[in-house]
Amino acid sequence: MKNYLDLIPVSAKIHRKQTRMTRLCIMISVFLISAIFGMADMFLMSQKQQAIQSDGAWHAAFKGLDEEKTALIKAWPEVKTASRYAVTNYRLDMDYKIDGTQTVLCGFDQEFFELYPAVHLIDGNFPRKANEALVSESVRERKNLMAGDTLEVTTPKGPLTFQITGFIEDTSDMLKNNAFGIFMNTEVYLSNFQDATLEKDFVCFVEFMPGCRIQNTLDHMKKQLGFSDDEVAENAKLLGVLMQSRDNYILTLYFVALILAVLVAFSGMLMILGSMNSSVARRTEFFGMMRCLGATGKQVRRFVRREALLWCKTAIPIGLAVSMVIIWILCNMLRHISPAYFGEMPGFGISWVGIISGIVIGLVTVLAASRTPAKKASKVSPLAAVSGNGNTVFAAKRAANTRLFHIETALGIHHAAGSKKNLFLMTVSFAFSIILFLSFSTGIDFMQHALTPFRPYTPDVSLVSKENLCDIPDSLFTDLKSNPAVRRIFGRSFAYDLPMQLHGEAKKAMLLSYEEYQFGWAIDDLRQGSMEAAQNGEGVLLVEKAGFSGEAGDEIEIETKLGPQKVKIAGILSYAPFDAGGETGTIICSENLFRKLTGENGYTILDIQLKDQSDSAVEEIRSLAGSSYNFSDQSNREVKAVYFSFALFVYGFMTVIALIAVFHIVNSVGMSVSARIHQYGAMRAIGISIRQLKFMVAAETFTYLICGLFVGLAAGLPLHYYLYGQIITSRWGDIWSMPISEFCIIAFVMMGSAVIAVIGPFRQICRMSVVETISTQ
Amino acid sequence: MEILKVQNLCKTYGKGEVKVEALKHVSFSMEKGEFAAIIGESGSGKSTLLNCIGALDTPTSGNVSMDGQDLFSMQEEKRTIFRRRNIGFVFQSFQLVSELTVEQNIMFPLLLDYRKADPGELNEILEVLGLADRRYHLPGQLSGGQQQRVAIGRALITKPKLILADEPTGNLDKKNSQDVIDLLTQASRRYQQTILMITHNQNLTASVDRIMRVSDGILTDLGGMTNEKLS
Repeated sequence: MKNYLDLIPVSAKIHRKQTRMTRLCIMISVFLISAIFGMADMFLMSQKQQAIQSDGAWHAAFKGLDEEKTALIKAWPEVKTASRYAVTNYRLDMDYKIDGTQTVLCGFDQEFFELYPAVHLIDGNFPRKANEALVSESVRERKNLMAGDTLEVTTPKGPLTFQITGFIEDTSDMLKNNAFGIFMNTEVYLSNFQDATLEKDFVCFVEFMPGCRIQNTLDHMKKQLGFSDDEVAENAKLLGVLMQSRDNYILTLYFVALILAVLVAFSGMLMILGSMNSSVARRTEFFGMMRCLGATGKQVRRFVRREALLWCKTAIPIGLAVSMVIIWILCNMLRHISPAYFGEMPGFGISWVGIISGIVIGLVTVLAASRTPAKKASKVSPLAAVSGNGNTVFAAKRAANTRLFHIETALGIHHAAGSKKNLFLMTVSFAFSIILFLSFSTGIDFMQHALTPFRPYTPDVSLVSKENLCDIPDSLFTDLKSNPAVRRIFGRSFAYDLPMQLHGEAKKAMLLSYEEYQFGWAIDDLRQGSMEAAQNGEGVLLVEKAGFSGEAGDEIEIETKLGPQKVKIAGILSYAPFDAGGETGTIICSENLFRKLTGENGYTILDIQLKDQSDSAVEEIRSLAGSSYNFSDQSNREVKAVYFSFALFVYGFMTVIALIAVFHIVNSVGMSVSARIHQYGAMRAIGISIRQLKFMVAAETFTYLICGLFVGLAAGLPLHYYLYGQIITSRWGDIWSMPISEFCIIAFVMMGSAVIAVIGPFRQICRMSVVETISTQ
Repeated sequence: MEILKVQNLCKTYGKGEVKVEALKHVSFSMEKGEFAAIIGESGSGKSTLLNCIGALDTPTSGNVSMDGQDLFSMQEEKRTIFRRRNIGFVFQSFQLVSELTVEQNIMFPLLLDYRKADPGELNEILEVLGLADRRYHLPGQLSGGQQQRVAIGRALITKPKLILADEPTGNLDKKNSQDVIDLLTQASRRYQQTILMITHNQNLTASVDRIMRVSDGILTDLGGMTNEKLS
């Protein structure tokens, strides 16, 4: 042993049991922070890959190009990759065919492959000469082609012949629509389509350098190169996950995520602070003894800091390791539950964001928290340590109130409230469980609004008009309704972008029809007016959103193809599953009224819920529907998978918060009891019964709990209101309501924990030897 | 009138080679109003004896009965209540409740019984102990001697059958030590209080009625030693 600091590992070994809870607290906090931040990092990584695979790696696309602008874009310092791109027969409704099969023709620069990683060149070279082209893999298979062969494509202006330089993997759209693809370079495209121009037909996809502030660069480019806002499009999904979006709602979601991240970091810090503060008494006594033996205040401070770091040495790596394992388990679960959505998630990835945040927050908090005992210990008088009155931290400043309460209750309350700092820390850390729980519960509301696979109106299969017209006839509705596999069928007719007058203001609206089921499901969202009146065709329902508020009884004017028509508002809905987006309002009416207002008799969408969900039943419905309409039977399955994945996240996290609350309460009370065990021993000698001691501990615990519940509710409710407003009301218009059930759940969990917390130390008190306790004083 | 009867009390710690016999067949009794002192070297077993008499520790064998009631035949809860009503303790390190005032500390055993102290009796004890002007002070605001006087007050308030004092002057200076002994003597005389005190300071046994010595766990009754110093 070279100096006094070498005592630390020796002391740590002996006091291993005493410091176990503090080390556990550090470990759990590091785990919590690292797991949440790491999981968020993994989620963003996977979403980035997903966005790149589905929509491409480009950040922005410019229209209205010319040679000069294109050259300037490519030469722009922040631009990493740029490629021009044009497509013909994208909707497969033109006369471009190879042996009668619809064919898409694309022209782009070689850099396009970098911008669209989903488009793979599987064999051959990029075409450079006139009439050279790549073809899709399915063409090679069907026609047994090789690089160097020629291929003829029929076009409305006569046949085009290409020499094949290689093959490209079929895209999912091509496979789905059984179409072929021909891919040529930009120059060849322009020469083949003589009337195509860079300005009208081409877009230039751009990927910016890493670290570039995309929105600023885009503003700069627009200004310098003379692009209007309409001529620049953004890859919203990718920019969203890169946190480079300017979309207000996405920015709001970032902000909400930031608030939640700060709350999580804070709760971890509070947990460590609380646990270290609880053990202050015992440790102060020990350091007082050190002072007595000649240690200077500075030496004691150094000792305490070094000891805290020693805890970190084991607790932080364990916390990180556990978080990594949990992240791996969650990632693999998510990949399994929803491969389409989370398929790009790394199975065994390492999140440096999670690791670094865990280490930094853990270390900083432990060092900050160790300052208090270090400061206190360095100030302990050596006399206090030898006089047998070393537990000076319990020297009260005011007396317990024995007039209002029984002695054991009074002392319990005083133990909790005697030290303002202790009460503050405990209250805040108890309150944080509620604040976190309430804040994260908005995630459930978000999930239930954004993903609706289990809403009563969610269909299993849908029939949608290809052109969004009211062209699905009533007869088809009747035929499908009589099919035995169909449990329920309901249709909607849509009329888009109708000019309307609301309170004298000119606006645009989307009019849609409901039938009895849909009116029934909307009843919970009716804020005022009469659903029955709307159902009977006496008026319409207005869906409330910014710029579209009104009262039942108000009159609005809608202009349909039959001319301007006045209708009364029969009711106001706070929410509808259909939103026209932007500044377009949503108006709902009965089928009869819709037909009267628009003159349309068919449906735009038929939603079908099935009794029998087997593939054969779905196929039967599909064949009944024919090929004139889009048939969707995938969406709900996929949304269900995403819903389950999201639910796993949100409910998993809420469970973790609840478990942390349980652990924290049990731990805090346990630590408080063990710090006061000498005092309890002395009281036992004087004649306090075990039952009375139990009441004393219960009074202390419930004082923390009640203060925590009040503060948690006082801070958690406004925060819940704010977050709800930001992510739900602003998007879906739902009015905030008190999260009573959420509060009751966490309050119940905390109360249960408090009961467990009291029962735990009770055993310790029963085992306590009065003689030993007295004699160690 | 016999208040305390100790019969054949044995206390053994450990087993086999580490077995220590702290008390060996100790028997004695005390009359009401008697003030006795137990002396002995450190580690002789005197504190163990006091703890067994006070039902803080359980003897390996033997009986302790107070006013005819066997302490160790009672259930734990009943024994605790019996202890707070019938035995007063004065410890070397005072063991006051730091969150309670002088007055509350003195009343503590009554408060545990959900009873209120008679104001007259409380005032009398405070006066006798010289703590009347300190009644609303917290223990942290008192000197060692004053804290020990509070502990004596707490032992007296229930008018117990027996007061057990374990080295009550161990943490005090000479003057305060003498004051504490005087108070205990006064209590014994004034309230006919039975007191059993442990001390290793033989000078403090001058005013006791009877002295017993414990050596290697064996108790020897040295008889009445009033105004006589032990050699």
